[in-house]
Amino acid sequence: MRSVNPAMKFLSLLAVTLILAYEYDLLLNLTVFAASVLLMLISKVRLRTLLLLMLPIILAAAGMFFTGYRFSAEGNMPVNAEIMNIGSSALLNGLTQASRVLAYAGIGFLFALTTDRIMLISSFRRQLHLPQVFAYGLLAAWGVFPHMVQEYKRTRAAFRARGLRVFPVSPALLKPLLVKSVRWSEELAVAMESKGFSGQAQRTELDPVRVRAGDIAFLLLSVGIPAALAFLI
Amino acid sequence: MSIEVKKLCFSYFEDRRDVLENLTAEFDAGEITILTGASGCGKSTLLYLCAGIYPHAAGFLRSGSITVEGREPSKLPPQERCLLTGMMFQNPELQFCMDTVERELIFCLENICTAPEEIPRRVDEALEFCDIGALKKRSLLSLSGGERQKVMLACLAAIKPRWLLLDEPFANIDNASAREIARKLKQMHEERGTGILAVDHRLDNWLDIVDRVRIMEKGVLREESLKPAELEPGLLEELGIIVPCGSYSPSLSVCKSGETVLELRGLSLRHGENDVLKNLNASFRRGEICAVVGSSGCGKSSLFGALMGIYRYTGQALLEGRDIRRLKRTELGRIGFVTQNPQDQFVSDTVRREIEVGLRRSENAQEKSEEILRDIKLWRYRDISPYLLSQGQQRRLGVAALMAYNCSVLVCDEPTYAQDRNNTIAVMDALCRQARERGVALIFSTHDIRLAEDYADRILELRGGTLHALR
Repeated sequence: MRSVNPAMKFLSLLAVTLILAYEYDLLLNLTVFAASVLLMLISKVRLRTLLLLMLPIILAAAGMFFTGYRFSAEGNMPVNAEIMNIGSSALLNGLTQASRVLAYAGIGFLFALTTDRIMLISSFRRQLHLPQVFAYGLLAAWGVFPHMVQEYKRTRAAFRARGLRVFPVSPALLKPLLVKSVRWSEELAVAMESKGFSGQAQRTELDPVRVRAGDIAFLLLSVGIPAALAFLI
Repeated sequence: MSIEVKKLCFSYFEDRRDVLENLTAEFDAGEITILTGASGCGKSTLLYLCAGIYPHAAGFLRSGSITVEGREPSKLPPQERCLLTGMMFQNPELQFCMDTVERELIFCLENICTAPEEIPRRVDEALEFCDIGALKKRSLLSLSGGERQKVMLACLAAIKPRWLLLDEPFANIDNASAREIARKLKQMHEERGTGILAVDHRLDNWLDIVDRVRIMEKGVLREESLKPAELEPGLLEELGIIVPCGSYSPSLSVCKSGETVLELRGLSLRHGENDVLKNLNASFRRGEICAVVGSSGCGKSSLFGALMGIYRYTGQALLEGRDIRRLKRTELGRIGFVTQNPQDQFVSDTVRREIEVGLRRSENAQEKSEEILRDIKLWRYRDISPYLLSQGQQRRLGVAALMAYNCSVLVCDEPTYAQDRNNTIAVMDALCRQARERGVALIFSTHDIRLAEDYADRILELRGGTLHALR
């Protein structure tokens, strides 16, 4: 999966999410989720990372299960002791709701954990004609993000050290961050220009990201298999 | 082969006075020139104009011209401009666009339309020139400040500009790394004939390689063009420039250290797989001034970050016998923090409010805040945002704001970072006076060994994750 063209991978997985959006089927959802996990494991995504990321998703899926189970069309509302007896449609409804969460999360993780961000931007620029200035601006902003997290912690610590209580997204906390991010973006833009970068000028590419036959095959399979499953079921 | 500046008048705002006034100068590519002067004298502005960054990015060029080898850099597109003038900035954290060293170098070479088949060879050459071949595949985020500046130098070595313009490139790194980079700059100058013009108010790391020192004062370039041997300490001191190997001449009262106020017991801290602090033990007494020194990336900022609560650690940090992680909210002001960048400390919208935050439990907060602001000469700025003050003023405000608290310990992470001599002395005198008069334990980090020797009662070196006493 790591060698698949990122733009093609993006389009393929986007198509799968659209198919899922129009279908309400437990088997389809579970197949997509299982395929995503399998592809991630084949792509050498660390099992520990995957399990950690899946923890909140499993919680959300459990929540969706109970929502679907208790408030299915055949369920008696308001809630009473009787509806806790598992009836087939309520159970199926709950499981389908939960499996949708898993399927969407699986697709998201498959994309995020098997895609190199530099290749992704490079591919978007080449295959999807993303403007150069926007593409490299995104990369630079990505590089600044860890500094932003650090600055956020530092600003919070400054408030705490002065005995002031602030909420995690308090405007008092975000204001200094906003001021700094404007300054950083200016400094970064100047640094990029001083290395010869220009939004308009032509540049060479050492290793351009290309679309190969395998990428087309991936697109066709990704769209074809779920579409066929949806049609057959 | 020179940079020629003719009758230059430049201002950052249309309605304010000129930062550079009718400035005329010529810098020869055959010599390495350092432009020095007090903070705010306009030396960095002149450098940015020479690099063609201003007035395109900021300010107004009222009159005059700048030519580099006969061409006006501000009128060239970035691709051509970077071949004429390469710029190295003060902050090594905000110079990169890519994620790894190799990709950053490739990015630079792609920008100047280097043929793809030539790029790998030129990347390797540049890394080899800077002796950082081992860093090729490393993530830029994992590098220390000194290593990042070397990567920046490798970028410039790959682009091969005719001139290198350097804006205080050693401000953020230790002396050993600074000297290593200085040596490489000299090599570039001698082997490739690259012209070098640098701006710095600390000259010590330049003395071995520099040919000429030019001095700026209030937007005007002084006539003297000095060789390193001709530098007069008296003149440098008068102009607010840090004198190489010169004393700061502090006027400190004798240390009467009291009981232990802060004790670190078995402090350990990890960043990812790296053990930054290992079972660190230390104690600090009331009224004592203690300097923490060490190479870039040795963990000074991590140690202070742990005390601030930014990083998790194992072991204990005890303030008057109590774990600082268990202090009540009302007691948090007992440890004051002066950060490297004064903007990191600001919590209020106005200068006056910044002081009043610390006095909010005091009955006559308004009178006291006025007294403090008049004392640090910021009373006239009381109603503006702290972010609008100059760097020196921000530093004074940051220190004064903490003085409004009843601190037992004051932890300062490079409090004199990027300050000229006068500001350095003003900041250190204010901090040390408070330490002595109020019995506060003052702990500060610095790369300036002379500053540590002049001001500290005790010097500790952070090496291998633990503190070692140097004095």
